[in-house]
Amino acid sequence: MTKLEAVIQTSKLDAVKDALHEIGVEGMTVLEARGHGRQKGHTEYYRGREYTVDLIPKIKIELVLGDDLVEGAVQAIMNSARTGKIGDGKIFLSRIDDAIRIRNDERGDSAL
Amino acid sequence: MQTQQPSSSTELKELYAAESARIQRDFESSGDGHAAVFARTALVESIALRLWSEHVSPSMEGPSGFALVALGGFGRRWLFPFSDIDILFLHAGQDGEREFKPRIRAFSQELWDLRLKLSPATRVISECERFDPNNVEFAISLLDCRYLAGDPAIFTKLHDQVIPRLVTRESRQIVQRLTDLCRARYNKFGNTVFHLEPNLKDGPGGLRDYNLACWLALIAAMEEGGTWPEEGSLLPPSLRKPFGESLDFLMSARCFLHFRHQRDDNTLAWVAQDEAAASRVGVPDSKALSASDWMRIYYKHARLIHRISTQLLEEFPAARPSLYRQFQNLRSRLSNAEFSVVDGRVFLHRPEGLSDPQLPLRTFRFLARHGLSLSSATEHQIEEILPSLASDPPKGVELWHYLQEILLAPHAASALRAMHSVGLLTLILPEFKGIDSLVVRDYSHRFTVDEHTFVAIENIHALRRSQAKWDQRYAELLDELEQPDLLYFSLLLHDTGKAMDYPSHVTGSLEVAEACMARLEMDEPDRETVRFLIGKHMELSASLRRDIFDPETIRLFAAKVETPERLKMLCLLTYADIKAVNPEALTPWKAENIWQLYIGTANFMMRTADDRVHGDVDEEVMMHLRTLAPAAGPKLDSFLDGLPKRYLLTQTASEVLSHMAMASRLSDDPVQLELTRGRQWYELTLVTRDRPFLFSRMAGALASWGMNIVKAAAFSNSAGVVVDKFFFTDRFRTLELNLPEWERFKTSIHDVLTDKADLNRMLNDRMRGQKKQAPKVKVDTQIEVDNECSAQSTLFEVVTQDQLGLLYRISSQFARENCSIEIALIETEGQTAIDVFYLTAAGQKLDPARIETLRTALLAELSTE
Repeated sequence: MTKLEAVIQTSKLDAVKDALHEIGVEGMTVLEARGHGRQKGHTEYYRGREYTVDLIPKIKIELVLGDDLVEGAVQAIMNSARTGKIGDGKIFLSRIDDAIRIRNDERGDSAL
Repeated sequence: MQTQQPSSSTELKELYAAESARIQRDFESSGDGHAAVFARTALVESIALRLWSEHVSPSMEGPSGFALVALGGFGRRWLFPFSDIDILFLHAGQDGEREFKPRIRAFSQELWDLRLKLSPATRVISECERFDPNNVEFAISLLDCRYLAGDPAIFTKLHDQVIPRLVTRESRQIVQRLTDLCRARYNKFGNTVFHLEPNLKDGPGGLRDYNLACWLALIAAMEEGGTWPEEGSLLPPSLRKPFGESLDFLMSARCFLHFRHQRDDNTLAWVAQDEAAASRVGVPDSKALSASDWMRIYYKHARLIHRISTQLLEEFPAARPSLYRQFQNLRSRLSNAEFSVVDGRVFLHRPEGLSDPQLPLRTFRFLARHGLSLSSATEHQIEEILPSLASDPPKGVELWHYLQEILLAPHAASALRAMHSVGLLTLILPEFKGIDSLVVRDYSHRFTVDEHTFVAIENIHALRRSQAKWDQRYAELLDELEQPDLLYFSLLLHDTGKAMDYPSHVTGSLEVAEACMARLEMDEPDRETVRFLIGKHMELSASLRRDIFDPETIRLFAAKVETPERLKMLCLLTYADIKAVNPEALTPWKAENIWQLYIGTANFMMRTADDRVHGDVDEEVMMHLRTLAPAAGPKLDSFLDGLPKRYLLTQTASEVLSHMAMASRLSDDPVQLELTRGRQWYELTLVTRDRPFLFSRMAGALASWGMNIVKAAAFSNSAGVVVDKFFFTDRFRTLELNLPEWERFKTSIHDVLTDKADLNRMLNDRMRGQKKQAPKVKVDTQIEVDNECSAQSTLFEVVTQDQLGLLYRISSQFARENCSIEIALIETEGQTAIDVFYLTAAGQKLDPARIETLRTALLAELSTE
């Protein structure tokens, strides 16, 4: 099992959800996030006050997938979230030891 | 002693299981919750008595000095299928406690083995008379005590002497703690009955509220009589029937939930609502019901129980902390010729005056202004007259004015809830009935649609009192609105379409709004604003799903919003609407994004303010104008040519035509003035030919009359005709108190603009009479210059301390540097003036040298007192 974490543009959430759904990924956790990589923020002036946005709003999605789905999910996210401009986001993959469904004690892939 | 005999636990288990199953079957066939809780109480009682005889005493009235007492729900014979069982082992003295300990353990063990949730307490009788503020629950549970077995004399002593003494002595503390617990419970549930998935026991309007009403009535009766009141005499006769019906409904619903969940789970979740409606729980004689209809019945009962328990709580003197009492005493001074205020509740001096159909509206306006509640007598009196009012309900402009006043008052949401509760709101706005207690299943929403609406209105009013960072930012926008009443009105109706069968509820809400606005005979420009706000109330949220820092997103959003005023209103509406979904819905992430989209769009609108009309007016706008003034012909085109597009967006069609008419009279009189009075400000419109110092002389003339300019806008067309609008407050109430002064004021302004009056002398006279006052908040002057955003002009933004004559001083400085004001956008936010000017010199943008000269001169001018 692999955990996939992807930080994407807020405007790409619907497209990414649809793309993942199409390849059979049903569940995900969506988090409101802020941050920046090489894409730095900017400053807006309003009424003589300075509003600096150094942490840009992003969406973070988290999924735990069976190994057979990982590559497809990565491709689906890349295809649907990419604009080619700075700020498109990143995908992180990490190994997961086990998963447990709280309701009925199922473990491993069947708990996903 | 029987304690060593083998227990009959297997048999008891079988008996308990069989009887419980029978009770469930009976409930499923009859739907009678009352019968079910009585039957379970009897079953548990019979088991307890049997165990008493097995483990404690073969005689039901023995042993001496020891008794078994049912408390709480068990005491009042309200054992729901999975309720806890509260019992008290009552001793005459400490010795008995030690002697009977092994028997109590065996007795309790048997009940636990039956998987009953036993909550036992052991007390010596003298301990029962002591009040422990940290365990008010025990004192309260004694109010429902009931003898089960053991020494009757010791129970009689507890019941007849100890409890009345305790309650009489400690009533104040007991009620105070009860109030604290109740408020904490209400806070947990957002202080509203109208949850989409309510808790039938602890939520407002739940069974705990029914108990609360009974306990308060009992404590009041004991305090007065020093003893237990007669059974069944606690509640006033008028309340018994409706209260009893509501209790029966809630009992059936809670039994249904317990049997369904097989545990003490009292949350009425959506799936349970479907099943309850299909089984007609609590309403066995009803025809087939949808889940929404069944929930409406639930809310009706819960609302009644909540209303009565809250009234009892507030009417009970001991329930009020001293600060609250002081506050209420202050509020009683609000009494006037029409209303008297007692303990924060409003009574009518002359209830017979309700034949005047406007008295109910004045009553709710009074509530909205002062944060008061209706007394039960007034509530009843208003309910009584509603049927006669229904034949000819209030309508038209008069009703709209009342509604405006109610919506603008600080406690509007509470007053609207009260109006809705008695049925007046749906009488004047029948379309609101569709969302009355309406459950729309949306996982993020927590309240019914009507309650969501009231919470949204409450959120806007709360902005002014809030210390939270986000609220304070949005509160500034609220203070700048020209017509906040239209924002509140739009919020009131924005979700009414959810009761209608349209693919998007917005369509339905617009339909409802149209009908309401027609009945209220609202002005067309106001209707247009309401249509915009309701029609676009999802737009800002939708734009948050785009890249809000992308200029194209901003441009598209600005095109939809059209004017800064609408942007502010939509921003506030969205903020309040999201926040009313549930207490956690407006995350800091969303609040920040709304704000960023707002300031991005506001800045975009300001920087594109001088995009001008050159034969490219929207065809729809032109058609509308031509329909209104068919004779205008080419005059209209030449008047509009060269005016900023913003002018057309911010002025109504009738205003545009009025300005054109004023321009056509310039040959008769070169200075055309129009003065009107709005809700918040006076509005002075000037149409004349452009010339140096024009704007500054106008600003100076207003300052010389002591008028405080809060907003202004200046526009000019290709033919050199300017339209300047000044919005000001009349600090000395000169115009308000002296109608003849209107003409003298206009003449004086006219004379200044035609050089017949000495402006400097007038200003000096005013300044001499002016007391120097230190500003409450010091604002540093900042000047931002943008020479890129406009193709034709240079933008100067001046943020500085607001003061009398400020605009005159700034605009005079521009004129001295030979700069023309193409557009001026003037705003005041508290003590801060935010003035934006689009300037040209000899028809061109300013060159860098002139910009620096002007900046230095302005800074020097504004740094002097």
